[in-house]
Amino acid sequence: MTGKRIALLGLLLSALAGTSPSGKLSIEARVAPDRVAPGETATLTVEVGYRGLNLPEVGAPAIAGVQVERGGTAQNLSILNGSVTRTSTTVFRLTPRGEGVIPIPPLVIAVGNDRAQSSPLTLTVSNTAPRAKPPVPGTLPPGATPSGRPEIFVKAVADRSRAYWNQQVTYRLRLYSRVDVLGDVDWKPPSANGFWTESLGPPRQGRVRVNGVEYAVMEWPSALFPTRTGALTVGPARIRCRVARVIQPPDPWSMLAVPDIVPQDVQLDTEPLTITVDPLPANAPPGFGGAVGNFHLAFHVDGLSARAGEPVTARATIAGAGNVPSIRDPEIHARGASREYVVGTSTRLERTNDVLSGERERDMAFVADQPGTLEILPVRFVWFDPEARSYRWQSSEEVMVRVTPDSTGGAATAPLAAGGAAIAASRSTPGPMGTLTLDPPGSSVALFGSSALLLGAGLLAGRARRRRDRDPRWARQRALEPLLTRDLEAAESLAGTGEPAKAAALAEEALLKGAGLRYDVEIGGVARPERERALKARGAGEAEIAELESLFAALHAIAYAPPETRRADAKEAIAAGRRTLERYRKELLT
Amino acid sequence: MSRIAALFLLALLATPAAAKTAPDAAALYNRGSDALRRGDLGPAVAQLLAAHRIDPRARDIRTNLAIARSRVEEREGGDQTSTRIPSALALSAPESWNVAGALAAMGALLLVLAASRRGLLILGGSVFAVGALFGIGLLLRAREEVLHPSAVVVAPMLEVLPAPEERPVSPYLLGAGEEVRLGATRGDLVQIRVGGNTIGWARRSGLWRVDEAPRYTASSGSK
Repeated sequence: MTGKRIALLGLLLSALAGTSPSGKLSIEARVAPDRVAPGETATLTVEVGYRGLNLPEVGAPAIAGVQVERGGTAQNLSILNGSVTRTSTTVFRLTPRGEGVIPIPPLVIAVGNDRAQSSPLTLTVSNTAPRAKPPVPGTLPPGATPSGRPEIFVKAVADRSRAYWNQQVTYRLRLYSRVDVLGDVDWKPPSANGFWTESLGPPRQGRVRVNGVEYAVMEWPSALFPTRTGALTVGPARIRCRVARVIQPPDPWSMLAVPDIVPQDVQLDTEPLTITVDPLPANAPPGFGGAVGNFHLAFHVDGLSARAGEPVTARATIAGAGNVPSIRDPEIHARGASREYVVGTSTRLERTNDVLSGERERDMAFVADQPGTLEILPVRFVWFDPEARSYRWQSSEEVMVRVTPDSTGGAATAPLAAGGAAIAASRSTPGPMGTLTLDPPGSSVALFGSSALLLGAGLLAGRARRRRDRDPRWARQRALEPLLTRDLEAAESLAGTGEPAKAAALAEEALLKGAGLRYDVEIGGVARPERERALKARGAGEAEIAELESLFAALHAIAYAPPETRRADAKEAIAAGRRTLERYRKELLT
Repeated sequence: MSRIAALFLLALLATPAAAKTAPDAAALYNRGSDALRRGDLGPAVAQLLAAHRIDPRARDIRTNLAIARSRVEEREGGDQTSTRIPSALALSAPESWNVAGALAAMGALLLVLAASRRGLLILGGSVFAVGALFGIGLLLRAREEVLHPSAVVVAPMLEVLPAPEERPVSPYLLGAGEEVRLGATRGDLVQIRVGGNTIGWARRSGLWRVDEAPRYTASSGSK
């Protein structure tokens, strides 16, 4: 066996054992349990060791068909005879999504050139696997806590399981913990259909002994008021928090093997509670407005005499413990008042000793415009006392207020306008009539309709114009126009003023351009044979070409003939040229 | 040309002959002013708002409406020291609609003419767009008025409470003369909206709709 083969064999063996070739780096993975039922969770524990300071981190393995969640990491450092060794233990939760044998690939770590990988593992997911016991609400899953002495649990309690409609039920959500709770505790109140809820203050903390074990306890109190009768359910409340969990070091013989603290997120649900809600006894006294609890009524009038036009304010105060926010204010009425109005209402709540209490005030103002007596009628308040299981009521005395004439002896006058502006006088003539709705009148509907029609017509006209502009025959016909209106008219004018040579040259030029536009060919400055060929190629007939050439020849000759002989000829040739161009224009239009 | 256009606009702006049953701005104004002198702020604001809708440029209506509003603010503890009179540059709803329609029609006409004169294209398009946008704005305003009509609190103090099935809270109080919008109705209750938000339910009898102001007389009221 050669040295190379020995080295290779050593490398293979060390890789299988999860140790790097140098022996400094090691990794070991194990899964427990290795056989689970669908939906259950297995734990993958990965231990990494390194003789040195650079301890590599282990990433979450990618396993097909498995949800991998990192649980936490504990680290340890030991120095022995000057040699530093670091180890870490990382926990992953594996939740398979389907059945079958799931291979867990080797986990690879590296420090510099040192590489180590764990052995491949398998996780069997089968319906035949023994199922773990479901976790008991309020406790951590088995294995995480010692039995009988849970480290952390929640409990919901109600001070009564039977209550009357609208009677307060005090609900307390408590979190018991023997481990340190890190940071804030997130709590979700229970679903309480059929109740309205009032918080009874911020969470409280304390310490209690449960089964001989001391726990730190947090409590969230709230008041529930049933608004329906029958068996009502207060759903589970949920608490999410982070606890400090102690993990024992993997190397108990290490000098510095102190336990590590790993944060762990915990979610706990309470059990639902059932409250039986009884209806209130029948035959409630008149004036009962739904108040349930223990109340008393106070009534106060701000004066027993007032001037006409001055308001007299009466205040009814209901105070006590019970469903203060939902009770109906007592009615306050008066006889002899010209006007009455609600000045204000207010509610004050207290939460002392976990009992919702407080008071409601209602202020009514009565104004008598005429002197005499203002009679404020007795105020009656009825409530149901759940402890006495009976209705109770309280009435105020009737109050008589003496109304004296005002200082002017007449009715109260309106105050002056703000800012000194005087109220404008009334009108004696009818004003404009109109409508108070904001809907469009018929005229504007007609305008919008006609504008829509016009817009459509404009769009159609624009479209037709654009199409015409794109037509080459139309463009040529338009180019022909100035030859007739400008060039030939100028030629005729020159011929009339004794300049036939110039006139003939100008007419010849216009005729050349016109023929070119008619047959869509450039013939200006081209020799006669080429011109004839070009015109023929563009569809001009032999007779047409001959007529054109004859005209060109005539105009050419006039341009170079003696002046005294060419004046009449020029006029005649120009007229012939005009006729030809007008014919071309007609042909282009058709 | 400009004279013809001006005449055309004037003809369009002229409010069409109102039917005999159409409310009279002067009658509404007189009722509102009487209520204002009595110190009855709710009916005063409601009647003057209705009068202002018909005749928004009338100085006396604008003045008294501003006084009524400032008194409402004063009573609510506002520190307003001067009366802000609404602008005279205002159009009634039919006038606004007619202006918008006229602008749209003129723009469309210019667009038709632009088929032969290219220079009119941008002008016509702009005028039409202004008219159309103005019209859309008016349409949205009219739709809001139909869905959530304007109303004025006429009760001296109106309690706005949650719906009976909602969690009870302290009532929201509105004073006479406060302008709100109404929502759905349920029995004697109507939903109250302020600034686009629903604040609760109140008795219908404590409110007057502005578009129904002519129905109410001096003897109408709320306690």
